[in-house]
Amino acid sequence: MRSLLLRCYPARWRERYRDEFEAILEERPLGPFDVADILLGALDARLRQGRRGADIATGRSFSMSLRIGGIAAMIGAPVWVVGFAISSGAVANVDTRAAAIVLVVGSLLLLIALAGLSAFQARVHPLLSWAAFALPAVGTLGLIFGAAAVVLERDELTEAFFFGLLMFFIGSLLFAIATFFTAVFSRATAALLGLATVLAFAGGGGDESRPILTVAGMICFTLGWVALGVQAVRLDRPVNEPNAA
Amino acid sequence: MDPKPPEFGRFTEPSLLILTSLSDGPKHGYAMMQDIERSTGRPMGAGTLYAALVRLEEKGLVEPLAPVDRRRPYRLTEVGATTLAEQLRGLSAFAAQGLRQLGESQS
Repeated sequence: MRSLLLRCYPARWRERYRDEFEAILEERPLGPFDVADILLGALDARLRQGRRGADIATGRSFSMSLRIGGIAAMIGAPVWVVGFAISSGAVANVDTRAAAIVLVVGSLLLLIALAGLSAFQARVHPLLSWAAFALPAVGTLGLIFGAAAVVLERDELTEAFFFGLLMFFIGSLLFAIATFFTAVFSRATAALLGLATVLAFAGGGGDESRPILTVAGMICFTLGWVALGVQAVRLDRPVNEPNAA
Repeated sequence: MDPKPPEFGRFTEPSLLILTSLSDGPKHGYAMMQDIERSTGRPMGAGTLYAALVRLEEKGLVEPLAPVDRRRPYRLTEVGATTLAEQLRGLSAFAAQGLRQLGESQS
């Protein structure tokens, strides 16, 4: 993984910084946040090499993974829940193909959120943080397959859709657990996110579904992710940035 | 006093944090990351650290020392120390002005 990340940097950069950079990466386990940050750094180095780079020293902070993750969480959760609600038939007279696409878009946004918000969690619980990212990533593939199946009207692939949903809920629960124990973001918010998954599972599906629990779960899911997003954006606010007001 | 907030120019947050971290002596990259996380409560990723460090080195504000076990320490140059001091004085004046204005508006 480390050598793969290093290879993303230009050769001239590696000649000069490879050893010391590698030494830093060996100091602690890499989480999704670190990987995203390094990829952004590599992109910046490549753009600068081509003299097209945006200079971090003339604009806003380059350290934006947390901010991007927070914004993705605030947008992604409502989008995801809307897609979920429509695809589960809670809203009448809506094209299920559109619902599937909305759900995929929401999932991609929440994946960005998971990567961006896992900076602190990955330090303390690297395996849990990676699992919290990997399961929804696999789940998103399932949702993409499922969405394609809905669009192409191929019923045999729709199972992938439900597999994707399941992976997403489990990943969200793992992220909530890691966040709760790391306690950088509010523990109440982490608990809310964990409760969302429990309620969603308790709500079940098919003939024995309990819609009220599912609805409560979706409300907790949305509130939990949005609150985490707000906290992340606030946390990333530069110390010396004056308030806009 | 100039009512305009100080122009951060080449010292946006990561650069300023790195310079401040080096102000009490040379540090290698990981030590800077730990120091910055301790003082701000926020992590700075290795990608961000080196993107800023490369620029600071290019501008002659920090300089690399001989590596120790692959870890290369960096230290503030004289220009870097002077620039950091100017920048912090600017921020301090800006904060004082802001606090004064806040006091005036609340009274």
